[in-house]
Amino acid sequence: MPTTTEIPAAECSIVLVGNPNVGKSLLFRNLTRRYVTVSNYPGTTVELVRARASFNGFEQEVVDTPGLNDLSPRSDEARVTRGLLTDNPAATVVQIADAKNLRRALLLTLQLVELQRPMVLVLNMYDELEARGGRVDADRLSQILGIPVVVTVAPRNEGTQDLIAALARARVPDLQILHNGPPTSVDTVAGPQPQLGGAQDRLSRVNEIISETYAIDQPKGASFGIRLGFWAMHPIKGMFFLAAILLTVFWFVGLFGAGTLVDALEIAVFEQRISPVAIRATDAVLPFPHEHVVENVPYTMSLPVSPAHNVAIMELDREVIRPAYTVPADARLTLVQKLMQLLHDFFVGPFGLITMALSYAFAIVLPIVTVFFFVFSILEDSGYFARMSIMMNRVFRVMGLNGKAVLPMILGLGCVTMATMTTRILQTRKEQLVTTMLLALAVPCSAQLGVLLALMAALSPTGALVWLGLMTGILLLVGWLSARVFPGDTSDFILEIPPMRRPQIGNVLTKTATRLDWYLREVIPVFVVGTAVLFVMDRFDLLTRISVWARPLVTGWLGLPADMSNAFLVGFMRRDFGAVYILDAVTGPNPILTPHQILVAMVTITLFMPCFATLLIIAKEHGKRVAFGMVAFIFPFALFVGGLVNHVGRWLSTI
Amino acid sequence: MAIDYLTCPMCGFEFERTDTLCAHGCPLGALCHLIRCPACEYEFPETPPAVSFVKRLFRRRLPTVTGLPPGVRTAAELRPGQKAKVLCLGSTVTDRHRTLTVYGLASGAEITLVQQQPACVIQIGETELALDLEIARDILVQPLDVGQETVEPEPSPA
Repeated sequence: MPTTTEIPAAECSIVLVGNPNVGKSLLFRNLTRRYVTVSNYPGTTVELVRARASFNGFEQEVVDTPGLNDLSPRSDEARVTRGLLTDNPAATVVQIADAKNLRRALLLTLQLVELQRPMVLVLNMYDELEARGGRVDADRLSQILGIPVVVTVAPRNEGTQDLIAALARARVPDLQILHNGPPTSVDTVAGPQPQLGGAQDRLSRVNEIISETYAIDQPKGASFGIRLGFWAMHPIKGMFFLAAILLTVFWFVGLFGAGTLVDALEIAVFEQRISPVAIRATDAVLPFPHEHVVENVPYTMSLPVSPAHNVAIMELDREVIRPAYTVPADARLTLVQKLMQLLHDFFVGPFGLITMALSYAFAIVLPIVTVFFFVFSILEDSGYFARMSIMMNRVFRVMGLNGKAVLPMILGLGCVTMATMTTRILQTRKEQLVTTMLLALAVPCSAQLGVLLALMAALSPTGALVWLGLMTGILLLVGWLSARVFPGDTSDFILEIPPMRRPQIGNVLTKTATRLDWYLREVIPVFVVGTAVLFVMDRFDLLTRISVWARPLVTGWLGLPADMSNAFLVGFMRRDFGAVYILDAVTGPNPILTPHQILVAMVTITLFMPCFATLLIIAKEHGKRVAFGMVAFIFPFALFVGGLVNHVGRWLSTI
Repeated sequence: MAIDYLTCPMCGFEFERTDTLCAHGCPLGALCHLIRCPACEYEFPETPPAVSFVKRLFRRRLPTVTGLPPGVRTAAELRPGQKAKVLCLGSTVTDRHRTLTVYGLASGAEITLVQQQPACVIQIGETELALDLEIARDILVQPLDVGQETVEPEPSPA
């Protein structure tokens, strides 16, 4: 037995280290009961997450580190982890390993051994190894390495107690294990660079350890999950798979979420119930002579079959009072009454806090975003995104990116701000910049997507296809161009493919809830402030003044009614907010836009910067200059393309 | 970036654009869009860039790497399901070597090719790794015995 040094567990914190996508975050949750986003995609955790928990009678700090394959300080993850270990010399290192991938885990173990810290090795995902007919002799492994080895299944919370018990037995491994056995006997045809010698030596030592401890039976036949995994990245079947997934997501988010759920919340809940109650309550508290408009608001609950067909389930008509009101012509309001009217308008007027900001945030944005994050979490947990990266790699190459950029781009369909933060998983600065640019320009977030889908309903199917084609074309064109403008290289596409797993409903729900929580905290203040700004501008007649000033651009170049300048004005703040404004102009008893104008407005507002928060995040991630440069490109470009659509459309209709 | 070679449709000879066999002072000059093969002197029209771009997007595999010793080939040339032993990772990109070594892909490792399209997927032990075809083309391998192959569950057709 190697000599060991006992470190009292009370003084040290615990650092979880491991390869990417081995279940560190989930194990962290099991240990501390604190939730961090867990996903079946390598590189989700990019920051250190800390939590206090008490084990074996002592309170300790547990730190979750980003997944890393290599301790040499070349990547951010390795630097962060090394820094953490240097700052906490007494910390116990708990290495989490994917039991199926023992070789890679041991490569990291041997690097950790060199640090000479008390260690515990956790063989996680042991169930998946067993399902594949594999076994690891944990006792023998523990004997070779001289540290406790624990078997766990994190999603089912199995083995957590064993791990806690093993923490007290953590030992500093002996350096001797690095050199046990014959010297390197690997083929050296390549004669690689000298600094790789260490890695090569470790690999051959790992192979020796594996031959003593690891056994796998020949698989009896491919399980359904494995077959599915193969189909999902097959050149032809994979395309059908991709199409099927995209259609399902579209049905679920675009038709069910943005249709059925939004209608239910917006009309049945807000317009028919909450707004009238809020208006009555405000009128009772702030009385002044006025008469609200009373209208019949019809609501039909329906399930979507295709974009144009619905199955009606239930109909509900109600006579309700609307925010619009008239003041009797002979009424002379006192100063107090005028003040009351102002407050009344602030809460329930056409630009009111309740009637606009909250109903918009909760009735239109919330259902779509919830459904999107739910579907996204399912796909993420199933391990499909890595396969999608393979399918999309070629297309992304055109834009100077590689398949890894799929994750931020798809997440961008949920929330561009959140997606901009995940561009960190891309390796080169060029890739990060190009992805950020494309996200900010042409990927509509789910809030906006919902509004755009509603707008499309007012447009012909051809119009919707023109919009889709234009956006895809612009995405590819701007991607291609910016790949040439931004200096630097595209990194190699080397991606580990996680196994296809059945998503755990508990994980999916928690993850959806975490993302929603983040989203609402970020979004609702912006809505409230945005509405307040609009309200003030409306009061001081700034809106009309700006629309006069912007008339040449809006009516001349874009060919839209002058009122629409308001939409673009708020679009500067949040582009989906601007889209709602357009939607207001389209729906209702007398729509003021023609289908041609709808298309122009849609294209322009889609290309706007997503929202103020995105701008702040871009400035934080890439610096103020980049953020400013993107603003300077995006807004003129959006207006330019919108005008182009207007003029080309008019020209086409005349011939 | 690799140089784009032209391939003669008659004799299959690969050559660079500068090597085309054209008479100096030919009156057609820039108007001529024919290419003459330096080996067999067959003249053929150049593929329009758009067509070759689409071809490149969907091409099944890059031209075979020539001049390798017998029994050695690139990982991209393995058949799906075929096992091989890695001889060298090729190329001079140290960063790439490190990344691949970390996943267990280093000289001496035993690998199975899972698929080549749309990206090359290589299995090392229980790790499945997706690579650009260009990276796989740099990796030199020695295919293992025919008798040992296709023990992996590989439902896709060869």
